[in-house]
Amino acid sequence: MNIANFFRNYFEKNGIGLGTFLLVAVVFWVVVLIILPQLSMLDFSFRHHLPPPEMGGPKDVYTLEHYEYLILGAPGADTSYNVVDLGVFGRTLMAAVFVTLLNLVICYPIAYYLAQTKGGGGYTRILVLLLIIPYWINEILRAFAFRIIFGDSGLINETLLVFGLIDNPVDFIRANVALYAGLGYAYILLMIFPIYNVIESLDRNQIEAARDMGASWTRIHWRVVIPYAKPGISSGCTMVFMLTAGALAAPQILGGPSSLWFTQIIYQWFNQGGNWPRGAAFAIVLLVTCVIIVLSMMRIFKVRMGDIGK
Amino acid sequence: MSKGVGVDLEDVCIRFGDFVAVREANVSIKGGEFFSFLGPSGCGKTTILRAVSGFLEPSEGRVMIGGKDMAGFGPNKRPTALIFQNLALFPLMKVWENITFSLEVQGVGKAARRKRADELLEMIALTGQGDKLPSELSGGQKQRVAIARALCAEPDVLLLDEPLSALDLKLRQHMRTELREIQKRVGITFIYITHDQGEALTMSDNVAVMRAGIVDQISDGHSIYNDPATPFVASFVGENNVFRGKVKSINGDHAVIDTNRSGDLVARIATSAKGSLNIGDPAMMFLRPEACKIATDTSAAQNRLTAKVLHEEFEGQIYNVFLEGAQGKEIKMSLVNVGQERQSKHSNELTLEYNPDQAVILPAGELASE
Amino acid sequence: MKSENFLLKFFLVAYLVVFFGYLLGPLLVMSVTAFNSPSFPKLTPWECLTFEWFDVLAQDERIITGLKNSLIVGFGTVILSVVMGLAGALMLTQIWPKMRATYYTIVIAPILIPGVVLGISTLVFWDRVSVMLGFGSGSFFQNGIFLTILGQSTFIASYCMLVFVARLQRFDTGLTEAALDLGASNAQAFRKILLPFMKPAIASAAVLAFLASFENYNTTTFTFGKFPTLTIELAQKVRYGIDPSISALAFIIICLTVIGALAHEVYRRRQQLALNNGAPLSAVTGSFQLPKFLRGNPAAIVLVLISLGGFTTIWFSQVYSPKECILDVREQKRILQDLRIQDIKRKRLEQQKATQGTQSTAPANSSTLPQSPNKGAFGGVFAPDNLNKETGKKAVPQSPGKGAFGGVFAPGNLDKTGPQDKKSD
Repeated sequence: MNIANFFRNYFEKNGIGLGTFLLVAVVFWVVVLIILPQLSMLDFSFRHHLPPPEMGGPKDVYTLEHYEYLILGAPGADTSYNVVDLGVFGRTLMAAVFVTLLNLVICYPIAYYLAQTKGGGGYTRILVLLLIIPYWINEILRAFAFRIIFGDSGLINETLLVFGLIDNPVDFIRANVALYAGLGYAYILLMIFPIYNVIESLDRNQIEAARDMGASWTRIHWRVVIPYAKPGISSGCTMVFMLTAGALAAPQILGGPSSLWFTQIIYQWFNQGGNWPRGAAFAIVLLVTCVIIVLSMMRIFKVRMGDIGK
Repeated sequence: MSKGVGVDLEDVCIRFGDFVAVREANVSIKGGEFFSFLGPSGCGKTTILRAVSGFLEPSEGRVMIGGKDMAGFGPNKRPTALIFQNLALFPLMKVWENITFSLEVQGVGKAARRKRADELLEMIALTGQGDKLPSELSGGQKQRVAIARALCAEPDVLLLDEPLSALDLKLRQHMRTELREIQKRVGITFIYITHDQGEALTMSDNVAVMRAGIVDQISDGHSIYNDPATPFVASFVGENNVFRGKVKSINGDHAVIDTNRSGDLVARIATSAKGSLNIGDPAMMFLRPEACKIATDTSAAQNRLTAKVLHEEFEGQIYNVFLEGAQGKEIKMSLVNVGQERQSKHSNELTLEYNPDQAVILPAGELASE
Repeated sequence: MKSENFLLKFFLVAYLVVFFGYLLGPLLVMSVTAFNSPSFPKLTPWECLTFEWFDVLAQDERIITGLKNSLIVGFGTVILSVVMGLAGALMLTQIWPKMRATYYTIVIAPILIPGVVLGISTLVFWDRVSVMLGFGSGSFFQNGIFLTILGQSTFIASYCMLVFVARLQRFDTGLTEAALDLGASNAQAFRKILLPFMKPAIASAAVLAFLASFENYNTTTFTFGKFPTLTIELAQKVRYGIDPSISALAFIIICLTVIGALAHEVYRRRQQLALNNGAPLSAVTGSFQLPKFLRGNPAAIVLVLISLGGFTTIWFSQVYSPKECILDVREQKRILQDLRIQDIKRKRLEQQKATQGTQSTAPANSSTLPQSPNKGAFGGVFAPDNLNKETGKKAVPQSPGKGAFGGVFAPGNLDKTGPQDKKSD
């Protein structure tokens, strides 16, 4: 079957009007909204930062300057590498990995519990509802809530002071405790649901059988449940990792004054530095790195793209 | 309602990639006829139906409805209505909306549609059930709604794709009669797809038996059963004892075949094989279980066999006797239960005989797999 | 064995409590701070029950404009995402098989691409288009609403598509064929058969799309231009100084979410109930009775209680005035402060005697700041400049128990009436 044949069948099946409409909508989405902007950003990242009148002029040639900047720093800087930006980049990725693992540890038991007590009726249903509700509250507000709690005169500090456990407020913001708590909180649902969905389909008899053969709880999970839940786990980890690494609101609101998130640097190049090509280059680096990490993890754990988003 | 129009398939071939689903089908269906396509699953009968209804175009050949070539006409442009195997009632529409959907798409007003729905509901004996949802009906009721929905479109040809297969036995038998009655009443052409020979034989004016994309025989039920055109038809429709051998002699309408195990046997030559069967050709003789009798005369003859009783099954109106002939040849015999003594029980060894006119000889060929 | 079970159960319950505490606690704390009178959102110390922050919220022009923009963007995004998501899902069922995996990867990718990247690429791309077509700056392609809708729809359409794909898997294509066979055109079959079947999915996709659009920050922050959405405004507020009116907004949003979730749950249960009873849905919905509806439906009961509580609260807020309480607290503080002012004055006098050079109170002020509990993070609000402009009421709560601020309050400030006095009239 060739492409011409496909289109003939397609229009026969859908009719001209509807067929055209669907095709236009999909092409608009895929080409104009997804592919072209990414390509355009890629192209843009290889260009000099020029004032608008010079765009398209003789100076508008391709350059690697922004990528060089990220690695080597500003020309004539003291250090041979851009320690600041690279440091932030590395720290962002490490922190994202950390938050992802933290999320996995927190969420696996609850996902398992909910999936296995599914028959429990309204009670489980209400727990699921309680899970979903925080997710629909604005991301900013969720971060804000953590600031209320972790602030100098926040709930935790006040409580600790009242009980006399500390004399001076602990600066949770500067210590990034608030940031990690907030980031972990932000995407909990995206970790729970993929795992929940997979474990839900696990035949409970398998667990019973393993227990019958004398396996301990840890062994049951290690040998039966976790291998089975692998697609869900990697799906959840992928989403949480990508979203955490790409988070902007939580670091802006909860981040300490001295620790930046890589997205904040991108944001600065766009909104404060006004150097769009450099921001675009940094964004490309973030995107490509994250995609590489995710793809290699998927390769290692043998998970397909089709498992994502279920 | 419009008088039924004829449907003709001319050299229709349908291919999916390399797979040939239907090859060179030539079928002529007269207007107002109840016509069945009978065959095992995967024989291409549903494909033919889809070609008639317009869901797919034949790769070669023409589909003619009422003498008009249907090439390029989609399903919504053809004077056909299809009743789907799973009925495909619209689950979100009420019964009456389902029935009059064809009017709705034509833009007929609600009052007129409602009126028409009530008429049809009356016809299918579901008066007053129009406001229910399909899910609230029983299997037989859904069946009738599907028929009414198809008839509401006032098609020239009604196509039915194994519509009774989901029903239980009693209901299925009842619906057979009902379908036949509806067809007589509305007078349009029915094309019926089934793998159930009972359905095909009881309802149809004519039956086409299909095998692996090929139409083996088209004729009325009586001929299909008594005068099969191919070994496949003989073995697929009803039950048959098969004897393989070589043609030994031909005498007018009858021939004798030499079977290895059961000796020489005589039978009528099938109509389709007349003139083409030669001495020495590999051939098959088909003997229906109900054509077998227990012989009183046990002397050897070309229409007699000796066999040993293995076991029997009692079915009420008949009982089946399973026998073992010479060299382990299995033979089945059906005897009508007329209160006679079950002699098969006493005599371990017995002689069968049959009327040579009730057995047929065909050139050897492919049989229907069990 | 038994004790092991018990231990397991204990850990399970403890774990659940901690987990849901982590999940819901922050929201609860935030909600409650909306009703406390101090101008920094906090739970402790509890001063006065007040509804003042809701008034502050209602009068915040930027919040109102942001809400308007959010609604416009949300509306546009819902339409675009649902249409594209539906088309994308339908295409997935029909696309040339060899292309399917690639196609799926492309349309699912926007979910995984960081929102920041989507925002930037949208901004850059349409800027390019605008330049290429020779439009000046401020052209339609650089319009914040336009860009935000496109940027958000890029990934929200993927969410919608997932919803549609799940629903489409249960669709019997025979139904469309039946409709065609009965004479319907392709468009009619789509409109009368597939679309009604997809209706529940379209509704949930639309809700999903709206919520996702409403709360989106990462993408929008690059594309909003001159039209900040509510989330953007919130982020600005939160980054540059916070007050409990944000808590008030959060409280409203949380209430709406909870009510929405419960309403959905009620609806779902009613359907299930109808299904379980084997009764046709039409019969259940037709003869709808309150007691029946409440029976065995805890979500419904909770919903009714919540709405009752809501009405009571609204009524109460109309009647109740925290004036007295606030005045009390202020009075207490004033006494405390007077004492301190005396104290400071005395000290200053001593100081002035000791060191001749110090002339103004400002240095004294700034020297007290580091001792305040609000160092660093909330800087802007507490610049001495601000404090002078603030009414007494707003500044008071920063000091309780710490008392380092004494000197900044000119006694005259305390005589002014706080904003809440005007509003409660």
